[in-house]
Amino acid sequence: MDLKALKKQESKRKISKGYMWALFCAVFWGIWYLPGTVVWALNPFDQMQAAIAETGGDGTALVVTAVLITAFNALTVMLALMIWNGVLGKYGELGRTLKEFHPCSKWFFLASIFGGPIAILGSFIAMGFIGGAFAAVSGLLYPVVGSILAYYWYGEKISKRAAMGIGVIIIGGITIFGGGLLSDLSSGNVQWIGYLGGLMAAAGWGIEGAIAGKGLDISEPDAGLTLRFLGENIIWWIIIVPLLALFGYPMYSFALQVFEPMTLLVLIFAGITFGFCYVCWYKSFPLIGVGRGQGIGNLYGLCSIIFIFLFFGQVPQWTILVGGTLCVIGSFVMFTEDASALETLRGE
Amino acid sequence: MIGNRPIKFRILELFLDGKEYWNYEIVSKIQVEYGMNSGYGRDSINFDIIELASGGMLKDVEQKVDEEGIYKKDFLLHKYVITDFGRVRGSDACLKYV
Repeated sequence: MDLKALKKQESKRKISKGYMWALFCAVFWGIWYLPGTVVWALNPFDQMQAAIAETGGDGTALVVTAVLITAFNALTVMLALMIWNGVLGKYGELGRTLKEFHPCSKWFFLASIFGGPIAILGSFIAMGFIGGAFAAVSGLLYPVVGSILAYYWYGEKISKRAAMGIGVIIIGGITIFGGGLLSDLSSGNVQWIGYLGGLMAAAGWGIEGAIAGKGLDISEPDAGLTLRFLGENIIWWIIIVPLLALFGYPMYSFALQVFEPMTLLVLIFAGITFGFCYVCWYKSFPLIGVGRGQGIGNLYGLCSIIFIFLFFGQVPQWTILVGGTLCVIGSFVMFTEDASALETLRGE
Repeated sequence: MIGNRPIKFRILELFLDGKEYWNYEIVSKIQVEYGMNSGYGRDSINFDIIELASGGMLKDVEQKVDEEGIYKKDFLLHKYVITDFGRVRGSDACLKYV
């Protein structure tokens, strides 16, 4: 075979594999909102919420319960990633990367602060207060935060096309949040903590991405992502959960009650889907470029709406559907222009 | 210091002399240093090089067909050189310029 034909074949193989990983990411990410929503209705989390609500009010109860759920989510993601690294034979690389704290792993720990207590906690709060579809679709705003941050931090230029994409995503965001808010206002009951959770998800993931990228581009993503979740586990289990327990919330007594088959199953399901959506995401980048990878990954918003409809029979408000579609279109406009990685794919 | 830093750090370090290297040269060197002699180890090191290139730290400058099976028979071989961005990230990672 000649050079030209081989080049073509290689880039074809790369592109189809890359799309496969990116699609897997979207599907896993979309599925994650199922266990994320179901877990609220399961013991011990529903009892915990009721118990805290009696003395501390509904809002506090939801947030404290969300903390415990997020902490368990981090734990099961860690478990899934440790098995993944074991299968790939990457424990050695994991140790080597962990030891490079100053140049490398500090970025993962910093990223985990924004990813965990802000983005994932915010998502769970949004799921608990408003619902899975809203939580999923509001997270789609993250590229806006990420690119504005990159503009101020690395001085990355925002092209006309990217700005257009950002504009479309913002209109989508206003539709998602505005639609819900208006109907809440008319019923006189604004679930502002839920909306705050949606904004936390978008801001947190945007910031996380910008920070984690600094470490990930010089490490293996399998190892890097595991360290990012190691950081999140430390934050929850060594800092926040004990602190809340100190303030008198019954964290440990409810945490010890998760060993019910159904609850464990749902938590593990959440861990597997969330852990692998991250892994797939990063596998797609070198093959089809960060731009396309993120654009296709963002189809998770639509996947989640489909899965929520299939499994729970819930049709979200039309504002969420329209807003979500706008966000996905916007992310395609914004990302597909990034040709730097595609040049190498085009070869020639 | 052989074999005790993350693999991508070591790959960047090998490129920091500014010379162009074929992927098989780097892969076989890393395989020896890190004891990754299996076919799987070889592919995973090669994927690290692809990731570094897609991250803009290495640049793919030349390709040729592997006719003799030096690396993988009838597959493409790639030749890379470090970019300015790669140098910056390499020095962030506390690697010394050679």
